[in-house]
Amino acid sequence: MGPQKAPGEMSAAEMVEALARARAGSSDAWGEIYRQYAPAIFRFCRRTLPTREDAEDATTEVFMKVREKLGQYDATRPFSAWLYKVATNHCWDMLRRRRVRQDLETGELETLPLEHPDPGQLEQLLTKSTSQEVRRGLAKLPARARMALVLRYYSDMSYDEIADALGVRRPFVGVLLLRARHQLRETLMQSSLAGAHPLSPRGKL
Amino acid sequence: MNHFDEMTCMLYLDGQLEAERARELTAHTEGCAECRALLGALAGEGRWLKEALVEEDEAVPARLLEPRTRADSVPWGWIAAFGFGSAGAYTLWSNILQPVQQQFNQAGFSGENLLTVLLFNGALWKGWETMRSLVEFLAMTTFGILILVLLRRNWRRWTTVAVVMGALLCALALPRTASAAELHKGKGTYTLNAGQEVKNDLIVGAGIVRIEGTVDGDLIVFAQSLRVQGHVTGDVIAFVQDLRVSGQVDGNVRGFARTLIVDGQVAKNVSAFADTTELDTKAKIGHNVYLFSGVATLEGEIGRDLMAFVGHTELNGIVDGDFWISSDRLAIGPNTQVKGRARYRGHNQPEVATGAKLANPLEVQIVSRRPDYASGRYYWHQALLWGSAFLVGLALLLLAPGIISDTVRSIDRFGVSIGFGALLLIATPVVVVIACITLVGIGVGIATLFLYLIGIYAGQCFIGTWLGEKILGAGVGTGAMIGRLALGLAVIRVLRMVPHVGGLIMAFVMCWGLGALAVALYWRAHPQAAAA
Repeated sequence: MGPQKAPGEMSAAEMVEALARARAGSSDAWGEIYRQYAPAIFRFCRRTLPTREDAEDATTEVFMKVREKLGQYDATRPFSAWLYKVATNHCWDMLRRRRVRQDLETGELETLPLEHPDPGQLEQLLTKSTSQEVRRGLAKLPARARMALVLRYYSDMSYDEIADALGVRRPFVGVLLLRARHQLRETLMQSSLAGAHPLSPRGKL
Repeated sequence: MNHFDEMTCMLYLDGQLEAERARELTAHTEGCAECRALLGALAGEGRWLKEALVEEDEAVPARLLEPRTRADSVPWGWIAAFGFGSAGAYTLWSNILQPVQQQFNQAGFSGENLLTVLLFNGALWKGWETMRSLVEFLAMTTFGILILVLLRRNWRRWTTVAVVMGALLCALALPRTASAAELHKGKGTYTLNAGQEVKNDLIVGAGIVRIEGTVDGDLIVFAQSLRVQGHVTGDVIAFVQDLRVSGQVDGNVRGFARTLIVDGQVAKNVSAFADTTELDTKAKIGHNVYLFSGVATLEGEIGRDLMAFVGHTELNGIVDGDFWISSDRLAIGPNTQVKGRARYRGHNQPEVATGAKLANPLEVQIVSRRPDYASGRYYWHQALLWGSAFLVGLALLLLAPGIISDTVRSIDRFGVSIGFGALLLIATPVVVVIACITLVGIGVGIATLFLYLIGIYAGQCFIGTWLGEKILGAGVGTGAMIGRLALGLAVIRVLRMVPHVGGLIMAFVMCWGLGALAVALYWRAHPQAAAA
């Protein structure tokens, strides 16, 4: 699970062993685990939180929490799943505290009809948009839509895990994801209509 | 046969469909090109999203490369910076603030009230360039904030800020909340007639207040004008436009007023923040007089010392102790008698009339208007000013890195920032004055003024960071920001030292920075407007 398992890094067996040592209090083992996962968690935070500084702080804080709670980790489950769960809760809390609640309410999302997409048009959008544009478009989405996409496509979480992390009913996860995909498509479509460099960051000349 | 909808296709691709429904869909798509195309496009979108999200688009910040442990959570660089900051703050404290505070303590001011004093002198006192207390005060505040930052592990940031602000407000509100005072509030005239007596502390908020009778306790007044012709056995504390004490006060008189006239008797001290101050020939002050005033005419008798920061001083009375006057001009009249030391510090030579009797020769220190570029003290002072600005910037970086980077970004929007800055610079004092005049708003007024001063002062930190980034290029992480802040502030400091235009540049920088902060805060509060 997770995109961080680059080949040549720690194997599963090494990971289990490092975890056992870290739980016993070894700083070296903790260092190995940290180096293995910190870049992925940083990128995760970067995708979900509005600024780079927030993401840096969040990464540090997530690992502090994880280290404190290492005793509670159930070794029969994958470590990265647990790690992402802690990170998700942390980032979600941060966003909630920032009063982004207006888009946390579900309400009308369930009832709004979604326009059926034209596969040809969608394919065209996929080939036209660069990864960078997608990420910028993503940053413009409401917090929950963004979070859902990141959990699904970056952290590879299952529908159950997403439902749990975002505190929604499981059948609603599909609606949330599809709605988010539609919002992202609209955002990208609008900005490609708006001009050549519509997504340049604000304030920069 | 019916086509499948987008939701079903997505659930199918994500493996979320029940086995039977999934089989139906597989069978259907074999014969239906339309659904096959949709399925293909959705699968493509899934891969496309994953690719975009997983791509390693930016390097992981250096500070995240190694785990933070308790031992290295306070790195050596920080300790050095902190040590430097403490030394600077200590120097400022022991050289400037403490002696002044001691003077005030003798006058019966407590530590909380010193804060009030510092807050009010900026607004009412013309000569505040002389003392630069604001800078030192901010350095002390920053010092406190830095300590809180080090403790913040167990605290949420804004909780900390809220606690500090709350504590400050409490400190401001506490000194004079008399337990069972008599309270009068109204818009018209309040008169305590001769022969009447209030056996309690008296607090009055009214248009015009006349005290002709007796107040057996403290008198606290918020009004347009206050005239004390009767007898007050405690202190008189007045926030008024015109204050006149013609009767007898057994305690202290503390006035925040436009004009203050004393032609009666005050048994203890008089402390005044006033545009115009007049001690009439009939005035008799038992202890000390502390003045922050634009113009002061002192013809009465002062039982002990006189300390004055005044634009223009005329002394023509009796001082039984020492006097220390910091003033633009000083005229000593023929009826003057001073029994202790006489010290004067100012821009112009004092005029001393021939009849004046000074027990000791007048000690004069002329301060040149222009900075003394040849003296080392001047550069040391500049270094200290740089240090206190750096401390404030450091505290901001630690407390609110997000706000700093947002503000630095909005600095690029030159027109908007300058516009907002100018507007705030002018409008805020007006709002504060209005808030202070209406009795209910005095706490709000003081808090606003406090934030306003911090905002203005912090302006140079934002511009400094921005300048640093322009010079060194945008950096990654807090360390890089600190470096840029330090460099930028140094550049601003050097520009400030340019003769004639330095002051203008500084005013411009502060206005610009304040505006950028306002714009950034607006964006924070309205993220939708920011994205548009």
